[in-house]
Amino acid sequence: MASKATTSTATPTTTSATPVPISAASGTAVIDPLTRIEGHLRVECSVEGGVITDAWVSGGLYRGMETVLKGRQPADAFYVSQRICGVCPVSHGHGATMAAESALGVTIPNGARIVRNLIEAAEFLHSHVLWFYTLAALDYVDPSKALEADIADTYALAQAAGTSTADFGAVQSKLKTLVEGGQLSIFTNGWFGHPAYAQDMPAELHLIAVAHYLEALEIQAEAARIIAIMGGKFPHFMTSIPGGTSWVPTEEKIDDVLFRFMRVRDWVYNTMIPDTLAIAPFYADALSYGAGTGNFLAWGVFNDPSMEMTKRYLPNGAIFTAQGLKVEDASPDKVLEYVEHSWFKSESGLNPQDGKTEAVDTFPGYDINDKYSWAKAPRYDGKSMEVGPLARMLVAYLRGVAPVKSIVDTALTALGAAGKPEVLVSLLGRVAARNLETAVVADWSVEWVNELIGAIKEGGIAFYEPIEKDAGKGAGMWEAPRGALGHFMNVEGGLISNYQVVTPSTWDISPRDAEGVRGPMEEALIGAPVLDVEKPMEAARIARSFDP
Amino acid sequence: MAHEDRAFYDQLAERGVTRRSFLKYCGSVAAMLGLAETMAPTIAGAVEAAAGSKLYPAVWVNGGACTGCTESAAQATYPDIAQIVLDILSLNYIETIMMATGHEADVALFDTAEANEGNFIMIYEGTVMTGLEGNTLRIAGKTGLEYIDEIAPKAAAVIAVGSCAVDGGWVKAAPNPAGGTGISMYLKEKGIATPVINLPTCPVNPEWIVAIIIDALLLGQLADGSILDKLDEYGRPKFIFGQTIHDNCPRRGHFENGEFVYQFGSAEEAKGYCLYPVGCKGPQTQTNCPIVRWNNSVSWCVESGSPCIGCANYNWVDNGAPFLGRMPQVAIGSGPQGGGFNPGVVGAVAGGVVVGALAVHGIGMKAAGRIGEGPATEPMKDYDAKRGAKGGEK
Repeated sequence: MASKATTSTATPTTTSATPVPISAASGTAVIDPLTRIEGHLRVECSVEGGVITDAWVSGGLYRGMETVLKGRQPADAFYVSQRICGVCPVSHGHGATMAAESALGVTIPNGARIVRNLIEAAEFLHSHVLWFYTLAALDYVDPSKALEADIADTYALAQAAGTSTADFGAVQSKLKTLVEGGQLSIFTNGWFGHPAYAQDMPAELHLIAVAHYLEALEIQAEAARIIAIMGGKFPHFMTSIPGGTSWVPTEEKIDDVLFRFMRVRDWVYNTMIPDTLAIAPFYADALSYGAGTGNFLAWGVFNDPSMEMTKRYLPNGAIFTAQGLKVEDASPDKVLEYVEHSWFKSESGLNPQDGKTEAVDTFPGYDINDKYSWAKAPRYDGKSMEVGPLARMLVAYLRGVAPVKSIVDTALTALGAAGKPEVLVSLLGRVAARNLETAVVADWSVEWVNELIGAIKEGGIAFYEPIEKDAGKGAGMWEAPRGALGHFMNVEGGLISNYQVVTPSTWDISPRDAEGVRGPMEEALIGAPVLDVEKPMEAARIARSFDP
Repeated sequence: MAHEDRAFYDQLAERGVTRRSFLKYCGSVAAMLGLAETMAPTIAGAVEAAAGSKLYPAVWVNGGACTGCTESAAQATYPDIAQIVLDILSLNYIETIMMATGHEADVALFDTAEANEGNFIMIYEGTVMTGLEGNTLRIAGKTGLEYIDEIAPKAAAVIAVGSCAVDGGWVKAAPNPAGGTGISMYLKEKGIATPVINLPTCPVNPEWIVAIIIDALLLGQLADGSILDKLDEYGRPKFIFGQTIHDNCPRRGHFENGEFVYQFGSAEEAKGYCLYPVGCKGPQTQTNCPIVRWNNSVSWCVESGSPCIGCANYNWVDNGAPFLGRMPQVAIGSGPQGGGFNPGVVGAVAGGVVVGALAVHGIGMKAAGRIGEGPATEPMKDYDAKRGAKGGEK
């Protein structure tokens, strides 16, 4: 399409892609900005003979959250700290509130526990649907290929794949309109026809995925509405307060929440999971690279009545695959943060409970041999740990959480790797784990609404417990959809004296530490193939698979 | 390109939207825009027509953002995000959802600005990061400031979405050294004259973006400049930010009856009483949140039992915190750099007890015949006294 104005290189083509030199690719591949993530990230790779041999991942933004929270009231951390991330504000909000409760010695009442689980579940569903379709799918699905699809065959394929249908003709004609109009909007300058797209994936499957890409926008919004009903709005909900929740459910609202959870769950089972299983075989090679450090950490999420981290629905645990696939209890005491390669001047190697975050006085520039990121390098027991759905699914699988075990085993069979959970330690495994977790959480969400209804019927349910103490140290160890999250708060005289957050992204996009050990994303990039150094699609896929 | 009415409504139907509910929605947009409801068909026509015509070029640039405003935009109702980016705007650059990656993304941004000079919208999300010569935000080897310097002068207008873009948001709160500020302030300092439409709150309410797109682009008010006449002295559309939350709050009746929530999760909350004593900033916060609400109008902050935290106010963290305390001292009349800007509730802000707020709201209450010596229904409560509240001060 000859665009009047806006593009230089994007030319979606309905014929075969321009051949790109393959396998001889060597040089430096740089992705900056890495788009379709939350935040600013640079990925730099050394490529030799078509394979990545080294990598540096640089976080591009410093906003000073921890400085802002010092000297404020513990309850205020909830409002400010969820502004770290507009995709996972619920998790940060809960982490901050739990840090205050931990510091000031309060256990929330059962009603608040269930409400928090429900709001968190809605965010997981929102975030995972948004990630798979809106942020990741275009790395595997080429909209220009969807133009070649036969509509009747598309319906037949959807039926065969067990996935839902849509008005495929309308979607295709919408794409045609964009191309013919010469304005590609959000598809401007995409890597259409890139050779890293599975060449044997039928055009009809591309069209199905594009149709569901549009549908997913509505489903993520539906999940967000569930948060809004209980939390006032999303992003940045309003109702988590130290001691419980300010949301008191009514019958009408519970009905509304239940109906919407069921709608999302149905869609996950009828569309998202079948889509995943339909597309995955075309990218089976992605089971063989993108593994990362092989160390996994989860603090756990969704409390059961015991409120113990190891008994959460998705439990706490650490895995070091060098020692085989086995899980041990994880403790925040074993976390240290290093800044040798980060643009901070504060002391390196501190535990976040009393950690410091002070930016350099003058900016020294980007230097991969010295300082090159605004992210710190957190280490657990000295190791560089991957966090996220893959970590949670592996921990839950090894701890025998029934629905996780069942769905993971089913997926392994579908991928031709029955009984081999270790294949999940790969790019494709990381993608699949997130989608399988979506199904598990969708089921639980409906169960928890019923748990809430049951508890209300029993009577005596409470949602808030006032706090009287005004000093202490505590931590809210939790999970955002993208991984393990810790908020650390010290309170003196009713005010926050120190605050530190270790985000999931910090773990995954970590630069090298004091010993030169790479972060999980850097490590995952090494050994991956790159067909085109100028357009390193495979590297982008790996980076985005962490949902950084 | 011929406009196909049926196709448009078929698309809506696919999303479960009837023609009737779409027209009803256009009526509420008309109300939001301060237009007569008879304008609803005009708005509907403009949205329909946009579905078949040339798309208006736009770029969405993220500064020091949490992506919450992009996320919020993805929650817009009708047109929803898919319609906005496929039928109305050619959104050639938006980091969070665009297909392009790395260098090609950057090229899309600069090419759009170059090729459409004076004829594209720049939506700006996030704080303008000035700390360390702008290196607190780095993109493609440049600072975030260099992006603004290059793109903003070429845009027809900048729409600043969210409190971070408007005045620096929470990043500006003391004593942060990161150096956050708002884009209108930054452009002014740089002598860049591109007009800025400010849409505060954290995040921006997506329906306001929709309203501005309709007003500015579909109804042609950017081209004739008339949209600029609708802005207040802080660059905010008066039709959105002209009234306080308190003015339109469904709990307002309880406020006037002296019926208050003193503890979360209490019987008073179950009755929907007023949240003023637990810190509600509704009386000093100007937005139409109670009318437009959030997330397809399913709820909004106060309805969920949470006090308004005043996220639409300038420097809302320093001026609003502690958020669960009664309204704190707020600097008055010092504008965007200083603090609050709602002299109408000076007494409420400085007072700190409900009696003070009631007195200030006396004008409306006099008209309602409810004011005299102040309401006898709100003596000092034990709960407040225990927490150190004193009559007349915080």
